[in-house]
Amino acid sequence: MTPRYTPSRRAFLARIGVLGAALGTGLLEAPNRASVRTDATAGGASLALPQLEALLGELARDTLNGLTTFVVPGPDRYSRAQGTPRREPGALDAKATDFMIEALDNFVPFPQELARPVATALSTGLSGLGIELPLELGGILPIALGTLDDALAELLASQDTIPLSLAIALLLNLVATQVNPLAVRGVFLSPFARLSFADKARAFALLEGPDADLVELLDTELPEPLHESVSGILRFVGGALLEFPAFGSYSEWAVFDPATKTLRSTPVGWQLTGYGGVSDGWDELLGYYQDRTEVTG
Amino acid sequence: MRDVIVVGAGGGGPVVAKELAARGLGVLVIEAGPRHAAPRNEWTHFENDANNPLTGFFRFGPADRTQPAWFRETPQNSFLWQLSGVGGTTQHYYGNSPRAYPGAFAGYAGSDAGAYDVAHRFPFPYDELVPYYEWVEATLPVQTAAMGTKEARFFRGAETLGIPVQTTKTTTTASYRPQENAILQPGGTAGRTRDPNQLHFPQATGCTFCGHCFQGCMEPISAPRNQFAKRSTDNSYVPMALTADVWTPGGAPIELVTDAFVTQVHTEERNGQLTAIGVSWRDNASGDEHREDATVVVLAAGCTETPRLWLNSGLPNPNDWVGRGYTDHFFDWVVGRFDEVTGSSKGVGSSARCDFPGLGGLENVGLPPAIQAFSMTLSDSGIRGHYGNGRGATGPWDGPAGRLIGPELKDALADHADKLLNVLVITDDDVEAQNRVTLSALPADAHGPPPKVQFHQRQRTARTLANREKLAHKAVDLLRGAGARAVYRIDWAPLILHVQSSMRMGESDRDSVLDESAESRWVKGLFVADNSALANGLGGPNPTLTTQALATRTSERIFQRYFGGDPWVRSEAPVVSTDERISRRLAELGL
Repeated sequence: MTPRYTPSRRAFLARIGVLGAALGTGLLEAPNRASVRTDATAGGASLALPQLEALLGELARDTLNGLTTFVVPGPDRYSRAQGTPRREPGALDAKATDFMIEALDNFVPFPQELARPVATALSTGLSGLGIELPLELGGILPIALGTLDDALAELLASQDTIPLSLAIALLLNLVATQVNPLAVRGVFLSPFARLSFADKARAFALLEGPDADLVELLDTELPEPLHESVSGILRFVGGALLEFPAFGSYSEWAVFDPATKTLRSTPVGWQLTGYGGVSDGWDELLGYYQDRTEVTG
Repeated sequence: MRDVIVVGAGGGGPVVAKELAARGLGVLVIEAGPRHAAPRNEWTHFENDANNPLTGFFRFGPADRTQPAWFRETPQNSFLWQLSGVGGTTQHYYGNSPRAYPGAFAGYAGSDAGAYDVAHRFPFPYDELVPYYEWVEATLPVQTAAMGTKEARFFRGAETLGIPVQTTKTTTTASYRPQENAILQPGGTAGRTRDPNQLHFPQATGCTFCGHCFQGCMEPISAPRNQFAKRSTDNSYVPMALTADVWTPGGAPIELVTDAFVTQVHTEERNGQLTAIGVSWRDNASGDEHREDATVVVLAAGCTETPRLWLNSGLPNPNDWVGRGYTDHFFDWVVGRFDEVTGSSKGVGSSARCDFPGLGGLENVGLPPAIQAFSMTLSDSGIRGHYGNGRGATGPWDGPAGRLIGPELKDALADHADKLLNVLVITDDDVEAQNRVTLSALPADAHGPPPKVQFHQRQRTARTLANREKLAHKAVDLLRGAGARAVYRIDWAPLILHVQSSMRMGESDRDSVLDESAESRWVKGLFVADNSALANGLGGPNPTLTTQALATRTSERIFQRYFGGDPWVRSEAPVVSTDERISRRLAELGL
């Protein structure tokens, strides 16, 4: 088996956000302070899978916060970080990240046969990127990285379904660090969330292009009949990741009670647009153009 | 054993079902999605609840909304917006029912005859279809649309374009007009009040100007199903088919099976000819498989699923045109911002249009906020001000074409409810072999390999691309003429919503699947009655009415060829779908 504990491997994990997230949450402690946390019952230096699963869930959420506020910014720290704070409510007030996670993980009819190789490509593929890692990340002991790596691989192999939100987050973080290599460190767990508004737009330019290196990376893990499908899928995903946060932010989703089919409060999107709300009718009839009510022939 | 099995209860299938039920044939209709029998209990006017393409009650998926939608591969930036369920995509349509341009048909000899997709015309003259148009227009019925604020604004712009008002059903020249639509004109209190207590049937009749065409029509409150304002087939043809015994002598009600996905068309050799003999379907809830045989099978599952079913059934495809020639009117979207109120979220979704034979058309579209936001973020031209994705054209619109994201999106939508006006660019697009449905290499679902819908939007024919550009310019002229202070051109990625011609009938057997009667060239007793049977994109007019007229004609052909009957459209008078006998019978049946 090809050795996996290489600098470029570390760089890759950092770029998709996993390494930084592990450090940021204390799951994987920096080497100058401690060795890897261990799972007492498993023996040896292995990370607990539930912890890693939770970590990746947080990484996905943080990444999608960076996405939804890109589309519909508001008075939140993600919007501030990208340089476009707003006074009026935004995507996070409309729970657009939850909207995205629920849709991606439960309802997008995206075949697992495709989601799994994509996630695998993003999380275990060799990168050959040659990015200099910040000292804090680069100094991690190989054994620590190997453990995280093993755990991530095991998590991907053990789960019946790969959350699509995770695959999307890994993808966004990868292109984020291609746009700005410095995004591997900073506030937030997610490199994508650390980007400026303009850099997020550049990341989408790479997705929609799509960038040839990105296509090649994903293609390596896909089964044969799906080769050459990657470009098209990326173009579709690039569009959908902008359209759905917009739809979700301006819809009633966050305040809709499915049991009663009523709203708990006025949707953020209605506040933002001055929408008069739903109705069974309006006093809007002005008559007929030129008073013509019928044509023939 | 049935006389006829119809696969799909969308815009076209119920027309065949109703017409042949009226002749007394035994008709089984099988629909993949749900029948929403009690809209007031099952629906709301809320956009996500209704229109979320993954979870909404209007989606392409099974009746059980806790289950995922069905997968279709679209390997390009695009959005395929079709619905399962009784009514199909007419459930969310706007009821627009213009006739096709005569130039889309064989034998057209107008001075602009060369301006259309002349290589892919209908295999018969326009005049041949007129009696069927008239039959459908009387049945639905189709009427001249009433006007609200956004239509008045649209007309103000149209009046500056130097084109006349059209006052006929048939379009012969560049012109503008109120839509001819399948929406009952407002009566009583409808359109005159916002008080729900005054919007009950029969105090209110017809369109109440609620602004929710896209969320399904259940107005006026407590109206019989066949007297809801919008004449989607769940409100018109399906009620007629279910009650055929009460409104016509000798009529036989259809049997309707829903939440049942047809997975196979069965054939056998008869008299030396491959012949359709029945279908198999899968019950979505139980997973049980069923089979039923019939004298005639009519495919009406839509432009994407009909070719998929054909290919998954292993039916012949000798010229390789099954699934090819898909047209979508290569929409574009132009949005004006006004200082004055436009009433964009109220009234019928679209009640005004411009026609430009040889180019296509324009129509106004009103939307509530979430779909409005969606509509301004769907683009093939990147993000305005940041990247053009290889496009981002400049022109008479403000700034480059492209989607609005972030602060710009919020600023534009802050005006939404009252001060935006949308113009849909409907391109007369050419039939092209490269735009097609094929089977995806992605894993099969319970219904077999899923469809893959490919549109090569950047490599469309020169005529298609030029038509779209000319119309986008006219849309800008219209909006500026109407007083817009800013105009955005979004350059939509394909929004695959008007769908046509993926199983096309044609003049030549080299590039068509169906003969001029909409019967398969290679399988006897197998007809197609959805939009996929259309020969082309009609020159740009919205396709539903023409599909329904053609399906009426196809019904006559089926009755003549396989049941020894006589045609009726030229000799009888149609019954209107709002007929009281239908209402009473629906009530008796609890439908």
